[in-house]
Amino acid sequence: MSDPVTAITRNDEFVDRDIVLKFMSAAAFWLVFAPSIGVILAAKFNFYDFLGNVPWLTWGRLRPVHIMGVVFGAFSTAIIGLTYYIVPKLCGVRMYKENWSRSILWLWNIFLAVGIVSLMMGYNSGIEAGEFPLWVSIPVEIALAMVTIQVIGTIKQRKEPRIYVSLWYLSAAYVWTVFNYAFGHFILPYSMPGVNNAAMHGLYIHYVVGLWITPAGLAVIYYFLPLAAKRPLYSHKLSLIGFWSLAFFYPFVGTHHYIYSPIPYWTQTIAIVASMMLIIPVWTVIQNFYGTFVTNWRRFQESYTAKFLVIGALYYFFGCFQGSTEALREVQRLTHFTDFVIGHSHLTVFGTFILWVTAGMYYVVPRLSGNELYSKSLAQWHYWLTVTGFSVMAGVLTIQGLMQGTMLQVGADFVDSMVAMKPYWFTRTLAGLTMDIGALLGMWNLYKTIHAGTAIAVPAGSSPVAVPEPMWT
Amino acid sequence: MKQEGEHKSEISRYEFSGIEERHGIIPKWLMAVYAVMFLWMVYYLIGFWTDHG
Repeated sequence: MSDPVTAITRNDEFVDRDIVLKFMSAAAFWLVFAPSIGVILAAKFNFYDFLGNVPWLTWGRLRPVHIMGVVFGAFSTAIIGLTYYIVPKLCGVRMYKENWSRSILWLWNIFLAVGIVSLMMGYNSGIEAGEFPLWVSIPVEIALAMVTIQVIGTIKQRKEPRIYVSLWYLSAAYVWTVFNYAFGHFILPYSMPGVNNAAMHGLYIHYVVGLWITPAGLAVIYYFLPLAAKRPLYSHKLSLIGFWSLAFFYPFVGTHHYIYSPIPYWTQTIAIVASMMLIIPVWTVIQNFYGTFVTNWRRFQESYTAKFLVIGALYYFFGCFQGSTEALREVQRLTHFTDFVIGHSHLTVFGTFILWVTAGMYYVVPRLSGNELYSKSLAQWHYWLTVTGFSVMAGVLTIQGLMQGTMLQVGADFVDSMVAMKPYWFTRTLAGLTMDIGALLGMWNLYKTIHAGTAIAVPAGSSPVAVPEPMWT
Repeated sequence: MKQEGEHKSEISRYEFSGIEERHGIIPKWLMAVYAVMFLWMVYYLIGFWTDHG
């Protein structure tokens, strides 16, 4: 660890450094573990009996492990850790009920691990993305509620007069999710049978994406982008439009999973319109991001935080446009039940939000550990393996989805449409493996930064405001 | 000094985080997108409220 003066001059005295770094370490584990399960699943498409004789490792049990592991393990663990960094710094006070944070760290991670083992044992509530059994979902809900109270309490006690956009997104994300998590885990599995349950599940699963992952992820990029670009945020006005249009349109999106289903036609129409109208918040925030960054592209060369934020924003643009247009009836007819949908979900969840929290980790870990990034070379490998692997994977899934849909539309036999996918599935597996090797190198780099990094040099006689920033972040 | 691509606008600073933001503008092309999307929404809601068969 470096001299404490380094931290103090960055106003890091508001931050519980130890708890943030522990959350970052836990997130690093989940960021390697959960996508690796995805590679095993992808391999099963090529080798049909691969691990099929072990009940714990069959497709039906591993898929929920992958989904829940990425959403609540990789993404959410990193978000909670980044919350403990962002919120105190934006409020100018330490976290409200800071002594809760350590309990939350253990409650969250232990019960996530129990949840993963439970899913592998076959205990599953049957609601996609809400699959943890009760003995896991209750403690997870308690942990979420505790963080929500901490966030709201800290904002209430803030010394900073204005509330920055990241705080709007974070506080909204936590409040929405405390209710939505309860809805998906405590109400849906036990009520509303039949088509009504499917319709409400459409809402739940899209609230996970649109009212948790999206606003929490946007909070991260809004916070770190101006700092990484070393430029003012392009427009406060655009922040307002982006936030409120997301809050207004997203709640109606969910039923677009059930176009051409027995759900009333007008509700499907509303979902389609709301999905398309999400072009407004998405293009608005994209303008805000690139407007901020465009005047200082040099930072793209210098900062891994900037690299991951910018490439994530590019995937965000493509993934969200794909998602909006995919809801249109004509496009849905072509793409439903194909790998196009899988491509879209990976573009948004991994390509965008996992990369944004990764960027946040690259920013926070060196500063809070007081150490330089352990290896620029490992960071470079992480970045390029991720970009190469992920671009191939997203491209292949999109193309094969369109092919599959076209074959089925012209009356091809279903089995023939599957056989035609074989080379694409193989490429997708290799691409996924490439990404995961990248993630492993990146997370190892951050782990070593905490435990074996070189302390950031503080030149003798430097003034408190001139303390150098860590390199490459 | 004003950088290329930056617009003139008042800058606010968040003291504890060091983040700065411009009050900002809404670019004309984005306003055009808002208008087109709004018109499309009205058209689609009216045209596709029920299944025509």
